Amino acid sequence: MVTYAGEAVASPTPRRHGRPTLIFIGLVVTLLASILVSLCAGRFSVPVDRALAILWQGLLHPGATPTTIDERIVLLVRAPRVLLAAMAGAGLAVAGTGLQGVFRNPLVSPDILGISQGAAFGGALAIILGIWGLPLIGMVFLLGLAALVGVGFLSRINGRTETVTVILAGLVVGSMFTALVSLLQFIADPNSSLPAIVFWLMGSFSTATWERVLIATPGLLLGTALLWGLRFRLNLLALEETEARSLGVRTEPERWLVFLVVAVIVGSQVAVSGIIGWIGIVIPHAARLLVGHDHRTLLPAAVVLGAAFMVIIDTLARSATSAEIPLGVITALVGAPVFALLLRRYYRERKEQ
Amino acid sequence: MVVQWMKTASVLASVGTALLALSGGALAQQIDITDHEGRPVHLDAPAQRIVTIPMPMASGVIALDGGTSKLVGMNPLSLTAIREGILGRIFPAAANITDSVTGTDFMPNVEALAAANPDLVIQWGGRGNDIVDPITNAGLNALLIKYGTEELTRQYMTMVATAIGKPERIGPLVEWRDKVEKEIEAKTAGLAAADRPSVLYLGNALSSITASGDKGNYNAFYINMVGARSASAGLSGSAAINKEQIAEWNPDIILLNAFEPQLDVNWVYDDPILSLTKAAQNHRVYKMPLGGYRWDPPNQESPLGWMWLADLVHPELFNFDLRGEMKTAYQTLYNYQLTDADIDGILWMDKQGTATGYDRFKAK
Repeated sequence: MVTYAGEAVASPTPRRHGRPTLIFIGLVVTLLASILVSLCAGRFSVPVDRALAILWQGLLHPGATPTTIDERIVLLVRAPRVLLAAMAGAGLAVAGTGLQGVFRNPLVSPDILGISQGAAFGGALAIILGIWGLPLIGMVFLLGLAALVGVGFLSRINGRTETVTVILAGLVVGSMFTALVSLLQFIADPNSSLPAIVFWLMGSFSTATWERVLIATPGLLLGTALLWGLRFRLNLLALEETEARSLGVRTEPERWLVFLVVAVIVGSQVAVSGIIGWIGIVIPHAARLLVGHDHRTLLPAAVVLGAAFMVIIDTLARSATSAEIPLGVITALVGAPVFALLLRRYYRERKEQ
Repeated sequence: MVVQWMKTASVLASVGTALLALSGGALAQQIDITDHEGRPVHLDAPAQRIVTIPMPMASGVIALDGGTSKLVGMNPLSLTAIREGILGRIFPAAANITDSVTGTDFMPNVEALAAANPDLVIQWGGRGNDIVDPITNAGLNALLIKYGTEELTRQYMTMVATAIGKPERIGPLVEWRDKVEKEIEAKTAGLAAADRPSVLYLGNALSSITASGDKGNYNAFYINMVGARSASAGLSGSAAINKEQIAEWNPDIILLNAFEPQLDVNWVYDDPILSLTKAAQNHRVYKMPLGGYRWDPPNQESPLGWMWLADLVHPELFNFDLRGEMKTAYQTLYNYQLTDADIDGILWMDKQGTATGYDRFKAK
């Protein structure tokens, strides 16, 4: 039997994960179902059969301009919003998975490490300076990366990086950038720039347009594809440092490569929908429980699960009441208990083994 | 010895006061007011240095006083209204009054307040003690007013007129409000629900869209008064809504706030969803005018706002001479003769002059 390094990691805790194919089919069906339901649900009542017919027409003739109100609601309001939510959810989940692997630490995620806050500061700073469009996205990405680099340096003491110091460094950097955004809010013209800045702190998909989908797609797709390409490397990086080195991994540069990719993903997400908490930590854990620790199956599971979860949450946010429910409220209300439950189950099972 | 001296001093002091009272007359007149929180407010003499923290009150003080000399500090959003609107042209000095006394969240900056050295600080009541305590703890005199209804508006305008020693200015203003309100209600009171078009007022639009329910909402008050109903009446308080919800309400008329300078009616006409609402299809989208203050919240010019909206909502019932009424009101309020160009600017004629019903506002 040929074993290679990637597999070695998948088996230190031999867990029975049923049939991965079945699980994946279940996940993909859930995602597709949630997208369909989401496209049919909303404050403006469009009968389900009419919504599906509009969708079908939209898929057949993607270039056609929708004219009636129900066509526009489905194709110009709901479709980009659902797509953006799915992509952002997938991106956050996969970024969280990558970070947890690299830091060998189940408690990190883009928002806990301050990357989201750094990215938000980049966006707010760009608005204050009057920068819009692609350069704005560039600043979002750069500041997100800067936050991550800051955490990396802060948490590295005498060449070692410990779990607690990573979390605390993330806290420090995240608070720092939150304070900087608040400072910009303070300086901002209350009439014009301020509402635009508040957007970066309060995650929301209510401003979703096809244009925003186009802005977010390259970074999210490229980042996710790169992480997928690094799946074997992630398995190795998740090993103990010495073990990884003995298997011929140059841990430092590869770690930075993952960081760069994560910054691209999170920057793209924050640029179009602001800071969204909890997804990056809850989804990787849920995915791990379903398919195990091997990044070859874990990454795709996180992508599908993150997308489905985000779509369901956002559908609730926009259609439960006449008022939009803030996204962060629902992600925390759903995310925190699920996370607590997962955590307890995870450690109980570890003890039993 | 000391006691003796103090007695003498106090006798001298009371004699002095009596003399002042005799000679100064109205100057030494003491003023006692009970504010909207039921607090007694005492002034030894009419307030000469006033800070206004609620946004519409800055221009309110200017109008009640007929000038800017008594206003020494205001909300940043009051100052933008003055700079962007006509008040800055009528009273150029007003643009230099400090706005550092408070944040836009009504939290006073005590140091800046103290530096402004006011003898009266007007603050919102009914919003908790956190925004009031910093004022009273600094030993300053606070007058608390409540937002929401026309009755409250008349009460606090009367309080402020009394506090600045110009009670004679408030009577005609209240009578004017009463007269216009009764005149409009006489024509709309009997309207059946079916004859009341739905009007959606958007308090925010550009980054997030907000609308409000009817309770304690002044915009809903005048929407109902002019014979319409608020499309967002079902909400509780102010809430973020999405365009899909607006499409579902499908209002007959959309009113855009005057608070966001970059917001104009094209925001609705250029939007793929909102442009299909009845309001947009019938060209009945209007941005609230910005005169001496924004016409959305209660202020000294409210009756002008009611007439403007009544003409637009029920052109078959109302035919106010808005331009004439504006000229008269500005003469009374600010001792200023409005030009036709001024009026065009206030009513946003360049942006929405072609809207349905707007032709009657055109200069003759």
